[in-house]
Amino acid sequence: MKKVFIIILLAVIGYSLADTFVDIPFGENRIGEIESGETVAGYYLSNTVEKSKVANVITAIVVNYRGLDTLGEVTVLFLATTGLASILYRRKEEEEDAQRLSLPSSRIMRTGARVLFPTIVLLGIYVFIHGHLTPGGGFQGGTIVATGFLLMLISYKGFNTDHNIMVWIESLAGLSFVGIGIWGLLSGNTFLENSTNVGVLNSLISGGLIPVIYIVVGFKVAVELTGILDILLKIKPKK
Amino acid sequence: MQEQFNEIFTKYHEIITIGVYGTSIALMLIGLYAVLTKKNLVKMVIGLSIVDAGIHLLFVGIGYIQNGTAPIFSPGNENAGDRMVDPVPQALVLTAIIIGFAITAVALSLIIRLYKHHNTAKIDQIKYLKW
Amino acid sequence: MVISPIHYIFVPLVAAFAIPLLSKINKELPRIIPGIVMFYNIIISFVLMQEVNEVGYISEVIAGWEAPWGINLVITPFSGFLVSLISVLGFLIWLYGFRFKKVIDAGELRSYNILQMMMITGAIGIIITGDIFNMFVFLEIVAITAISLTSFYRGRDGAEAGFKYLLIGGFASALILLAILILYTQVGTLNMAEIAERMHTVPQGIKATILLLFIVGFGIEAELFPLNGWAPDAYSQAPGPTSSAFAGIVVKAGVYGLIRIIFTLFDVDGAYDFLITAGLITMIIAEASALRQTNLKRMLAYSSIGQMGLALIAFGIGTKEAVFGAMFLLFNHAVIKSLLFMTGSILIYNSKDKTINSLSGIAKKLPFISILFAIGAFAIVGLPPFSGFWSKLYVLTAAADENMILLIAAILAVSVVEIVYYFRVVGKLYFPDKESNIEVYRPKFNAMIAMGVLGVVILVIGFYPDLITGYLHNAADILLDKASYIRFVLNADLPIQ
Repeated sequence: MKKVFIIILLAVIGYSLADTFVDIPFGENRIGEIESGETVAGYYLSNTVEKSKVANVITAIVVNYRGLDTLGEVTVLFLATTGLASILYRRKEEEEDAQRLSLPSSRIMRTGARVLFPTIVLLGIYVFIHGHLTPGGGFQGGTIVATGFLLMLISYKGFNTDHNIMVWIESLAGLSFVGIGIWGLLSGNTFLENSTNVGVLNSLISGGLIPVIYIVVGFKVAVELTGILDILLKIKPKK
Repeated sequence: MQEQFNEIFTKYHEIITIGVYGTSIALMLIGLYAVLTKKNLVKMVIGLSIVDAGIHLLFVGIGYIQNGTAPIFSPGNENAGDRMVDPVPQALVLTAIIIGFAITAVALSLIIRLYKHHNTAKIDQIKYLKW
Repeated sequence: MVISPIHYIFVPLVAAFAIPLLSKINKELPRIIPGIVMFYNIIISFVLMQEVNEVGYISEVIAGWEAPWGINLVITPFSGFLVSLISVLGFLIWLYGFRFKKVIDAGELRSYNILQMMMITGAIGIIITGDIFNMFVFLEIVAITAISLTSFYRGRDGAEAGFKYLLIGGFASALILLAILILYTQVGTLNMAEIAERMHTVPQGIKATILLLFIVGFGIEAELFPLNGWAPDAYSQAPGPTSSAFAGIVVKAGVYGLIRIIFTLFDVDGAYDFLITAGLITMIIAEASALRQTNLKRMLAYSSIGQMGLALIAFGIGTKEAVFGAMFLLFNHAVIKSLLFMTGSILIYNSKDKTINSLSGIAKKLPFISILFAIGAFAIVGLPPFSGFWSKLYVLTAAADENMILLIAAILAVSVVEIVYYFRVVGKLYFPDKESNIEVYRPKFNAMIAMGVLGVVILVIGFYPDLITGYLHNAADILLDKASYIRFVLNADLPIQ
């Protein structure tokens, strides 16, 4: 009975959503003339190269135009890690008998993980360093690095991340992101303002502070995701 | 190549539309169904993630423009500004994904805590507080 | 560096990122730093409020891109007022929780302080941002911190309340995201001023869908019925200072978001009627539920939901007088409910099982706390000469001006219910059934000061409401003046007189 009611409810929701989206044709050009400044997307497409010297418009939007969003996003991740640590907090005496969840892993898995781990981390770092040139960026690269650590965590029992170093990287990365923002204020401009008079378009050194911010974000995301995985994999054995 | 694509796109436009929008709306409904009916907390969280996935797909789908390329001014593409897809939804979906991830992580940690206290992840054996 | 709205955001962020490092130097630093940040917030508010009084609006752009290309922070008299209120309350809540008893371990202390500080920052962010997606990000900051703080205590109920909040909150965030997406396809911008300007081009049907999605999404944070299932559990399970922050700060941000969406973005007639109806249902059901509660904090939580219902009704009436009354109500509710939760937390800390019955005769042991609780209770039901009286009076007169007799009857009837259940508690405190000899925990000096200040504010505003009414009248005028907001944000050089 309950299920019937729920299915009817879902049907109503689905119908009303579909009804709304019928009026929004797929593939239609809603940007309009990009030079006209009618929509923000058009402005970004026509001005990014000239004003920010960044090839990847999405990176310019994420890091520069909507930089405060990204700062908030990094903060959300930081707070999720903090919240996770507080929800699953163990006092000192409990910490000692806490063990990592160890899944059975074969020799093939372990050897493969050892070979793949540096490659994955390298790919991740490549992705976040080239965030302003190619698809990808700090978040994507950081996630790739964290998957490398996940692979190691599940295939090696003894693989441990150094909590102390993680805290340092996390805090310093966060502080440098905010610090770049404050530097903009101190130099008489606005918060997070970019200085663009460096580099040539489509070369590694271009876009002013955008790649710097994305690298910082990459480090922070990598460390935070690894930290979350580390906390979640640690379980207390049943007595 | 380009013309062929255009031809196919116009010819089957309705089917493609239903494919993109339909998939995302279906994902949302499936996720919602899981959240509402499933008794296992982990399945409920998976449902929530599926709802999120549907919305993220919708974001990317909405940003697409017929014949559009990726909004990157890479070499050879310097003057393609007027035929690039909408970059804004793609930037927004990045934020949305991270936020969805954060919520999922917190949810899983809460499930671990609840499991420790009750030795089960079934919602009908956990309800102590009134709704 | 001149003080500007961005200071509200980056100062707490620096502190939050630095606390894990600084806690290695000294264990007490995580406790002290949020206090400094909160105090700095008060200074920012003080400076900015003077500026707002002179020019009317403050708009700050981020990353050098003028609105609508970049994100901007806007301080209007209304948002400035709420932000100042939150800053002061945040400082007092920090002071109250400074020697907070249940947090002992260093790691717990660190997490607690970061989360509590960032929850307040997120609420401020929701209020000052001028960009709809940025608002969503700040809303999620509030949601994540609030969920973590709800399940901060290690009992089983905390985690359950947190999970409930998370399911509803996650659903809300999905809906808001969907609403933003549909809105973006229609107007091609995310800046609230520009959206408001282009709103008339959106077809009616789509407008209604977007509005509905937004209302459901923000209604969850604003505790709108039937989306408030999380609230009583979260309030009763969260640590004492956090409950005060929920009532005084988080709910305010939710209501502000809702009001901003409806007043600035959607100026449709149906929305106002909807606010009145939703507020009325919320108020009646919440107050009826409050009457049945035996747990003190749950009772306060339901009362809080009821008060928000009343505020939404007042906003829904939509006249200048009503909006003014609603703002006054928000102010009073923030001050009084924070006081009630602060004193209530101490009271139930000394009771056996958190119920109202076990508080019997505690007034003899804790005279100061009990008198403050009584002041809060009298103020919130709207007895003269306390501050709550004036806000209720203004809302009622505004309703009377619009000839909404039924509404007035409902508000008065609900007030009677409020009187019944608050007086029941106060009666229990002062007139015990039987003598009890429990050992009580006495709050420390810092908590006494925090509660004392709030009590004094209630009395002072009660005797001299003119201290803030003039300012609020001005704020109400400006909230309703959508056109000048749009003009100002999109052409920041033109000062508005």
